[in-house]
Amino acid sequence: MLRWKYSRPLLGVLLLITAIGPAIHLGFLAEPGMQQTLAVAFLYGALALTYDLLFGFTGLLSFGHAVFFASGMYLTAIFVNSAHMSLFSAAAIAIFITSLLATAVGAASLRTTGITFAMVTLAFGEAGHIIISRNFGNFTNGENGLALNADRVPSFFLGVANTRYLFWLALSVLAITYFAIWWVTQSSAGKVFQALRDNEVRVSVLGLNPFVYKLLAFMIAGTLASLVGCAMLVISGSASPRFASAETTIALLLMVILGGALTRWGAVIGGILYSLASTRLQDFSKIATQHHIPKVFSGPLSEPAFTLGLIFILIVMFAPGGLSGAYYRLRQSYFAKKSRKIEAE
Amino acid sequence: MDTFVLISITGVGLGALYFLVASGLSLIYGLMGVLNFAHGTFLVVGAFVGLWMSTQVFHTNSTLAFIVSMIVGGIGAGIFALIMEQLLITRLYNRHIDQALVTVGVALVVGAVLGGWFTNDLRLLPTPPWFINTVTIGKAFIPVDRFLYILTALALLGIFVGILKFTRIGLIIRAGVENRTMVTALGINVKRAFSAVFFLGGFAAGVGGVLIAAYQGGVTPLMAGSWLIYGFIVVVIGGMGSIGGSAVAALLIGITKQFVNYYIPGLGDFVVVILLVAVLLVRPQGLFGKVSA
Repeated sequence: MLRWKYSRPLLGVLLLITAIGPAIHLGFLAEPGMQQTLAVAFLYGALALTYDLLFGFTGLLSFGHAVFFASGMYLTAIFVNSAHMSLFSAAAIAIFITSLLATAVGAASLRTTGITFAMVTLAFGEAGHIIISRNFGNFTNGENGLALNADRVPSFFLGVANTRYLFWLALSVLAITYFAIWWVTQSSAGKVFQALRDNEVRVSVLGLNPFVYKLLAFMIAGTLASLVGCAMLVISGSASPRFASAETTIALLLMVILGGALTRWGAVIGGILYSLASTRLQDFSKIATQHHIPKVFSGPLSEPAFTLGLIFILIVMFAPGGLSGAYYRLRQSYFAKKSRKIEAE
Repeated sequence: MDTFVLISITGVGLGALYFLVASGLSLIYGLMGVLNFAHGTFLVVGAFVGLWMSTQVFHTNSTLAFIVSMIVGGIGAGIFALIMEQLLITRLYNRHIDQALVTVGVALVVGAVLGGWFTNDLRLLPTPPWFINTVTIGKAFIPVDRFLYILTALALLGIFVGILKFTRIGLIIRAGVENRTMVTALGINVKRAFSAVFFLGGFAAGVGGVLIAAYQGGVTPLMAGSWLIYGFIVVVIGGMGSIGGSAVAALLIGITKQFVNYYIPGLGDFVVVILLVAVLLVRPQGLFGKVSA
């Protein structure tokens, strides 16, 4: 088992290799298909991290988080297509408007707590999903999704040969999100977020207003989610209503639980793994038919939801804390064993 | 005037279906604090059992066959709910968030299993021939099947109220909704009440599943989607743990949705969601909910 002292530089080296991999044509990192898959996975990692700030760090179970992600996508696409703005100014305005939206939705829903809060955010999320999928005001192109006008996208983001720029875009958005959330959770406000999760009454007894801090967390998470949404729009080329659905928020919840709430890297790993698994698990069906596995098993196995749901149930039942929790537990038992050995000697 | 009658009665019919989904959700949440995301799965399981009964066992679309299939579908979903409760929920005693998460997992897994076995295509559910008839009230033509939905929902409301008011287990459930710790402290085994609530909730959802299949024309593993969300909305507006509240809220939402959709097509869902937000901001515990201590 690696000591933390050594594992941190190792992680840095790994990250560096990942970052320059596409430039020096390193193994699978040189394949555009893999770059695209990884770019999407990085963005889900970043999105899961923004949800972790809400759910893991502040203890707010929101079912409407996906709406801010979709709002970043749709507003950018609308500004680029209809108002003929450049991609970056459109994204900046979209993120700003989403931050206002998140503040308004947060101010309304944070008047309630617990399960009621979950339900109000679910309702707001559904409202957003309905507005997008029913095409109110003819802005969103309804169920068909809204394609980004490729003429207004910088040329280095276009074409299969340039997929590595999308890869770097996703990686840098992940890095920005990670450092933003690292900074927020290390700040004194971030300490209050965690205190709110643990015991809200004590926080208010200390003279702090829980509402203000919860709203701040809600606003930051929503704003960062819209940043990830802008990047997702560029990478996937179009916005679609499914990004705003409650299913997307539930997927975020699964990612955070899979990786482990309360830790930043756990949420990122959870998001990346979930995204890779849901694209790659479909290959199971091919393997199943090749090996003549009876349809009773091969049918469910060909659906990613089956494997992911099963893993999810097992984690909730037997490994609370997810992957990162399991890692820390292993590390703890390793050190406990080692210190016992030293004592024996 | 006839449009008014037509929309009102179809709205009540829709409300009846919402009630079937919401009543179990409400009791399960009220007694155990479990936010059951697998309730949509109960509905789908009930619909599939009902479909199996009516196509593989009966081979006829008589009224009696449909009603028996409906009840068997309910029992099937009830047994499924009971198994889930025994296998998963009881092991996560009092860990409410984890319980909700496990039900999300169950919904994913069972949805994938059914999708893998039966594909996600719509399978026709045989309905009695008189389902497509209409009756005239005043000058309005009302589809007859809506009356079956309303009667079934009323019957189940009666059964629920009867069990809650006049049986010992019902007494325990009502006391448990009000203060579970006290009931446990008095030495009463609440666990049996938990199982009963899961079975009854699953039963109502299963019966609702068969009727929803008849309403939508068929059975698919994906049929639960929006019904579950509406179930949640009904429960929250009516007040968690209150059967009467669920009935009133289901009617309110069914009728509102039909009227808005008639005058401004497509806006019904949106108005219902706004209604939910409005109710919660004014009265967070719902119309008939009690303020938790």
